[in-house]
Amino acid sequence: MAIDDSRARYCFAACLIFARVCSADIHTESMAQSLTLFKNQVRPLFIANCVKCHSGEQARSNFNLTTREGLLAGGNIGISVVPGHPKESRLLNYLGHREGPFMPPGQPPLSSEAVAQITKWIEFGAAYDQPLTDQTRKRATALQVTASDREYWAYKPLQRTFESSSIDGFVKARQNDKHLTPAPQASLLSLIRRLYFDVTGLPPGPQEIRAFLADDLQAAYGKLVDQLLTRPQFGERWARHWLDVARFAESHGFEHDSDRKTAFHYRDFVIRAFNQDMPYDQFVRWQLAGDELAPGDPLALAATGFLAAGVHATQITINEAERVRYDEMDDMLATTGSAMLATTVACARCHDHKYDPIPTRDYYRMLSAFTATVRSEVTLPSGSMMIASEGEHIKPIRLFISSETIPDLYKDTYFLNRGDTEQKAGVASLGFLQVLTRSSEQDRWHNASKDPRTSGRRAALSQWMTDTEAGAGQLLARVIVNRVWQHYFGRGIVSTTNDFGTQGDRPTHPELLDWLANELIRNGWHLKPIHKLILVSEAYKMGDSPSAENENCDPDNQFLWRRLPRRLEAEAIRDNALAVSGMLDTTMFGPGTLDEKMRRRSIYFTVKRSQLVPTMQMFDWPDTLTSQGERAVTTSPSQALVFMNDPQFRRMAEAFARRIENNEDRIGSAYWIAYGRPPSERERTLAQAFVKQQTVTDFCAALMSGNEFIYIE
Amino acid sequence: MEPARSRRDFLGLAGGGMGLLALHSLLAANALAADIQLGSNPMTPRAPHFPARAKSVIWLFMNGGPSHIDTWDYKPALIQANGKKLEGFDATTGFFDDAVGPLLQSPFEFKQHGQSGAWASSLFPNLSEHVDKMAFIKSFRTTSNNHSPALFMANTGDTRMGRPCVGSWVTYGLGTENQNLPAFVVMSDPLQRGLPKGHAANWSSGFLPGAFQGTWMRPRGAPIPNLKRLDVLTDEQQRLQIEFVNRLSAQQQMRHPAESELEARIKSFELAYRMQSEAAECFELAREPETIRELYGMNDDQCAHFARQCLTARRMVERGVRFVQIYSGGTANDRSWDGHSDIKANHTEFAGETDRPIAGLLTDLHQRGLLKDTLVVWGGEFGRLPVSQLSNGKPTGRDHNPHAGCYWMAGGGVKGGTSYGETDELGHKAAVDPVDIHDIHATMLHLLGIDHKALTYMHSGRRFRLTDVAGNVLHRIVA
Repeated sequence: MAIDDSRARYCFAACLIFARVCSADIHTESMAQSLTLFKNQVRPLFIANCVKCHSGEQARSNFNLTTREGLLAGGNIGISVVPGHPKESRLLNYLGHREGPFMPPGQPPLSSEAVAQITKWIEFGAAYDQPLTDQTRKRATALQVTASDREYWAYKPLQRTFESSSIDGFVKARQNDKHLTPAPQASLLSLIRRLYFDVTGLPPGPQEIRAFLADDLQAAYGKLVDQLLTRPQFGERWARHWLDVARFAESHGFEHDSDRKTAFHYRDFVIRAFNQDMPYDQFVRWQLAGDELAPGDPLALAATGFLAAGVHATQITINEAERVRYDEMDDMLATTGSAMLATTVACARCHDHKYDPIPTRDYYRMLSAFTATVRSEVTLPSGSMMIASEGEHIKPIRLFISSETIPDLYKDTYFLNRGDTEQKAGVASLGFLQVLTRSSEQDRWHNASKDPRTSGRRAALSQWMTDTEAGAGQLLARVIVNRVWQHYFGRGIVSTTNDFGTQGDRPTHPELLDWLANELIRNGWHLKPIHKLILVSEAYKMGDSPSAENENCDPDNQFLWRRLPRRLEAEAIRDNALAVSGMLDTTMFGPGTLDEKMRRRSIYFTVKRSQLVPTMQMFDWPDTLTSQGERAVTTSPSQALVFMNDPQFRRMAEAFARRIENNEDRIGSAYWIAYGRPPSERERTLAQAFVKQQTVTDFCAALMSGNEFIYIE
Repeated sequence: MEPARSRRDFLGLAGGGMGLLALHSLLAANALAADIQLGSNPMTPRAPHFPARAKSVIWLFMNGGPSHIDTWDYKPALIQANGKKLEGFDATTGFFDDAVGPLLQSPFEFKQHGQSGAWASSLFPNLSEHVDKMAFIKSFRTTSNNHSPALFMANTGDTRMGRPCVGSWVTYGLGTENQNLPAFVVMSDPLQRGLPKGHAANWSSGFLPGAFQGTWMRPRGAPIPNLKRLDVLTDEQQRLQIEFVNRLSAQQQMRHPAESELEARIKSFELAYRMQSEAAECFELAREPETIRELYGMNDDQCAHFARQCLTARRMVERGVRFVQIYSGGTANDRSWDGHSDIKANHTEFAGETDRPIAGLLTDLHQRGLLKDTLVVWGGEFGRLPVSQLSNGKPTGRDHNPHAGCYWMAGGGVKGGTSYGETDELGHKAAVDPVDIHDIHATMLHLLGIDHKALTYMHSGRRFRLTDVAGNVLHRIVA
C-alpha cells in the first residue's frame, strides 16, 4: 500500500510542522504580551520602587532584578518569581504586603492595579526587553549545533554511491515504487517548442523546426540541445532566473527610490557568466568577493552587484542609522543564505533559529563578513559601474538626506540581543554556519583576498561557501542543481527552492539530487553539462496523457509521470510576442529602459523598485525586495485586458499580420509562427470563417491571445 | 506552478487527517491558522472566520502625519503651557533636532459635538457633525519618526519595505464580491503633488501572490490600464474576437482537461470583457444626481478632487469592491499633512480639501444603508509634536511625533460616539491604553470577520501574518 503509506507520512510530517509552528506562535505571543506589559507598566514600577536597592553588585539580599536572569535567580531568601506561575511567585506577596519582607520597605504596598499588572506580566512569562540599568549582559545559553543536526538531509555530506547512473534510472525507480506508469514521449513538435522556450525563452522559427524534422531524428535532438545551449539567448533566459533569487533591481527603494544607473552591469555579468559556462563555484565566489579575489577584472567587480542590489534607505534619522546599517547587512546575508544555500539564515537575527540549527551567534559572525561592505561606483575604462566593495580607497555612494551626519558604516559588527542595536553583546568575529563547517582550522578560508586594502572577510566567506570538503560546497551544489531542475520541470526536486531547512519540503528524489550535485562538482562546477543531462532525459521529453490511476496515486505529479502545460513567465510572454511579430531587437547588454515600447528582450527593462514595468508586474514579476525562488502564477482579467486592449500588443499583432500577408497559406503560416505547428482541420475551418469577418490583424492578435501562446506543453 | 502549492496541498491534506483534529482542540487559538487555499481564481469570495460586521473598507489616509492635537485630541493644558519649554524633551524625537521650539497651543478652536460630546477642532465644520458615528483612537503610537518607515508600518505592520499591506491581506483572506472590478483599489493625490513616500510599496502584496497587489488608479487619464476597447474594434467585433480566442484555447484544453489554470484563463477573457463596461461605469460620476455631487463638494474647487475620489469609493464599495484606500496629500512636506513650517496654514489647507468630501461620504453611505457594512478609517502614519518646530526662527510648525497620534473609525460594526485611549496632558505621548498599528490592523480584520492570528501565509520558512506576533482587537470600540 505504497499510496496510503506516503499519505500517512505526509500527514504525520504536516502535523509535526503544524504543532511546532503553533506552539512557537503561542509562546511568542504570550512573551510579546508580557513584553508589552513590561515596557509600559512593569519597567516603570520596578525603576520607581525596586532598582535603587536591588541592582548592581551590592544588590540587597543579593537579589538583582535589573535583568531577567537576576530576577529568576532570586536572592538570599530564595526564588520569588516563577514565569507563568504567579501563584508560586512570592514577590507578589511582598509587594502586596501579604507576606514579609514588605516591599518597598517603609512604604505602603503597591496599588492593587500595579500588583495586578505585575501578576499578568509574570503569568505571560516575565519578559524583559533590556536590563533596567546599563550593564553588560551575559549572553544567554546559545543553541548548540549537534552531530544529529549535521545528519539532516540537506546538511549531511553528499551521497557518493548510487543505484542508478542516469536521471531516468532515478526517476523510474521512484515511479516503480509508486506503481506509476509514465506518459509516452511528447510529439516532436511539442518537444522542440518546449526545448526552445526552456533553454532560450524564445520560440523556434518555422525554418528551424523544418530543419530539425528533416535531420536524422536520433542525432538531431542531441545536436539541437548542444546548439541551443551555446546561443547567447540562453544566458538571457537563465540570467533572469538568477536575478529573481538575487532580488535584483536598479534603484535604491524607499522614499526617493533613486536610480542606480550603472547597476545593469551586474545583470550583464550574470548573462555573460551563464553564456561562457563560468564554473558555478567561481560565479558564487565572485558575487561575494569579486573585488577581493580578482580586483583587476571588470567582470569580477560587476559580480559584486549581487551584494549591492538590495534596498538602501536614503532618508533616515540619526536614531535609526545604526539599525538601518544592520538592516542593510542583513539584506546581504539573508540573500546570500537564501540564494546560495537555500537557508533562512536571517531567521536567526533576533533569536536562535526556531527550526534550523542556526544559532544567533552564527548569524552575527557571518554577518560580520559585510561589516565594511558598501555600495560604490567605480570608473573603469569601459565606463562607470556600481559594485560592492570596501576599504579606504572605496567611496561609498552617499544619498542620505538628513540634518545630521549619518555614518556609512560602523567599525565593528556586534552580537545584538533580540536584534536590537541598543543591546550590544560583544564584537562578532568572522565565522560561518557551524552546521555546515567540517574543519576546526580557523584560518582555513582566510588569506584568499588578493587586495591588501580590503579586510578579506568576504573572500573568506566565498572560500567557505564553495569548499566541498570542509565548508558549504556540497549544499551549494545541491541548491543550484535543484534550481536548474526547477526551471525545466516547473518544480524543484525540493519544491521550496529557497528553503532546504526543516520548514521546507523534502526532496522527492533525494538520491537524484545528490547524484546531480556530484555530477556538477565532478564536471568542475560547469552547469551546461547538467542542463544537457536533464534535456536529453526521457523524464524531460515526456508528454501528457491523463491517467486516473496515476492521478489517484500522485495527484501533484511529484514523481513526474506526466508533463503539464506551464505558463511562460512575464518576460517570455512578451519576448514571444516580439519574436512572433518579427519586431524583436536582439541587441544584448547595456543600460535598460522603462519604456514599454522597447523592442529588446524584457530582461533589458530597467528594474526600478517603485515603478515596476506594469505589464511585467501584472504577470507576477518578483517584488525585488527579497530573494525569490519561485514565481507565482496568477490569472486575472487585467492580464486578459493586455491582450485585448494594450496598444503595444496591437502593434505586435499588426507586425505579425504583415509577416504573413503575402503568404499563400496565411492561416497555415500563422500557426507555424505562433504555435510551431500546422493548424488542425477544425482550426483551419474556424480561422477561415473568422478572417472572412475580421481582419488578419485580428486573427493574429487572437492567435497571440490564445492559451497555447503562453502555455507551453 | 504556484510557489507554495505543494505546501498548501500538504497542509490541506493534513487538515483532513485524524491527528490534526486533536491538535485543533489543543490549540484552539490557532485552530484556524492555515494558509488560504487559492483556487485558479485568487479573487473568489471566501467565507470569513466568523460573521463579518463589515464587508468593505475605505481607508482615508491623511498622508504626512496629521496632528492629533490640532484635530481630534483636545489638550487644554497646552494652552496654559504655550510658549514654555518642554522639560526633558528629547530633541531627536522628531525629524529636525536643530529646530525644536517651545510648546505651541493649537491655533484652532475646539468645541464639543454631538450626543457623545466629542471634541473636534474648527478644522472640521462638516465632519464634526458626524462624531457620534466615530470611534476615536487617541493613543495611537508608532515606531518610526520618519515618513516612509512609518508609512510602511501603518500599511504593512513593519517599518521595512517588503511586507504585504492590509488591503492585500484582506483580499487574500476574503477574495472579492465583484469579479468585474478590482478587489483592492488605491487612489493617490490627483493634483500632481506626488505619491506618498515609498510609493507602491505602500500597497504592495509583498510576498503574497501578485494578484493581491493594490490597483493604483492613475490620477489622470484612464484610471485602469487597458480598460478601454481599442478604437479599431467595435463592441461586436471584440465580442467575436474573444469568442474566437476562447475557441482556440479550448483546443489546447482538450488535450489537458485536468488543468484548471487553462480554464481559468479562458474565463478571464469573459471577465475582462465585462470589466471594460462595468469598471468604466463605476468611474462615471456624471451619473450621480446633482444633490449627491453637491453633498461631496464636487462643485467646490478646494475639495472637488478629493470629493471625486470619495464618491468613486462609495460607488466601488456599493459594487462590491473590498478595500479602497485614498491618500490625502502628495509627497511629504507642504504637499501633504506634513506641517513642519506652518501647522495652521498646512492643516487648514488639507482639512479644507477633505472635510466636506469625507462628511459627504459618511452621510451618503449612511443614507444608502451602506455604512453598516463599510468600515471607514481615518488616520495617517504618525501624529505631531506639542512642541513647535521653528521656521525662520518662529514657532509655527510641528515636527513628527511617533509617540502619539489619532485615528477614527466609523461604520462597519464600530461603536460610534466612543473613544479609546488617551495621550498625556500635553499630547506628547500615548499615556492610557497605548494602541499600536497592529491593534488597529487586528481590529480592522476582526470587523471583517477575520481572526488576525489565523490569517497566515508561509514564506521564508515561517508563517507570516499581518500582525506578526502582536495585535489586540480593540473590543471596546466594537459595537
